[in-house]
Amino acid sequence: MSSGCQKTVSQAIPTRRVTVNDAAQLPHDYSTTPGGTLFSTTPGGTRIIYDRKFLMNCRDSPVARTPPRYLPNIPGVTSPNTDEIKLEADHVSAHVDKQAGGDESQFEMDI
Amino acid sequence: MATSEPQRGSESEESTAETSSPVVSNPEQYIKHPLQNRWALWYFKNDKSKSWTENLRLIAKFDTVEDFWALYNHIQQPSKLGFGCDYCLFKDGIKPMWEDDRNKLGGRWLITLSKQQRHNDLDRYWMETLLCLIGESFDEASEDVCGAVVNVRPKGDKIAIWTGNCQNKEAIMTIGQLYKERLNMPLKAILGYQSHDDTSSKSGSTTKNMYTV
Repeated sequence: MSSGCQKTVSQAIPTRRVTVNDAAQLPHDYSTTPGGTLFSTTPGGTRIIYDRKFLMNCRDSPVARTPPRYLPNIPGVTSPNTDEIKLEADHVSAHVDKQAGGDESQFEMDI
Repeated sequence: MATSEPQRGSESEESTAETSSPVVSNPEQYIKHPLQNRWALWYFKNDKSKSWTENLRLIAKFDTVEDFWALYNHIQQPSKLGFGCDYCLFKDGIKPMWEDDRNKLGGRWLITLSKQQRHNDLDRYWMETLLCLIGESFDEASEDVCGAVVNVRPKGDKIAIWTGNCQNKEAIMTIGQLYKERLNMPLKAILGYQSHDDTSSKSGSTTKNMYTV
């Protein structure tokens, strides 16, 4: 409580641009909440920029090696590229060949 | 309400939470790095018995570097997709179509690949494109970016970065120049920008370039 009280001048909230080249440069409080809401950036504030090297370094991180939890099953995209044409054919005739276990003979038709 | 048997789910969660702190040796490994934007990856499959929008499917959304790679590492590369299929990566809230409010005044930097380039360049170019987008590689001009699309076609594949307003010359030129550098394209190669308006109204095979780099 000294007498040298300085007047405060209002200023714009400073923003700064930070280019992150390495994980070590990223502040520890940059994170996401469960479900992915981003915090610690403000509108118009720091733009989060990652260069190629940094992104590539993250490619094999433990988290990145686990498949995303709610990935839809899309043959040829999210699951191995099985024979798509065959799959579709199976799908169409599924109600027919369920009982016979996919035996060729069942496709014979009475004409 | 004391029941003798606690619920299995909550019990196991709590016990791991209590014991985990000494076990995690390097927490840095488990921190996810947030992206500037949340992105949505879409898949389009050309099934002529369905409408265009029915053929468009959301694969996943992500907003961290690690979640991006988790997705990328577990889906097929463009070169493995069937003909007529697309991947689209767009900022969350922007649909990968011209008609979306944030696209309708825009256009795209378009890379047309030869058939041979499917083996050599397609997957590499697409990955670089994705990294440019999620890493916000175009500085301020990144604001103008809406998304990117790869089309796998028998005649030759295409990759494009879509931006929101074809009149924003400065931002578009910044994006085009940096994009060309990132792809390591030869200087003499010409990259063209076309407005969606021109692309959709032209019925012929060529659309005029509004800008080139």
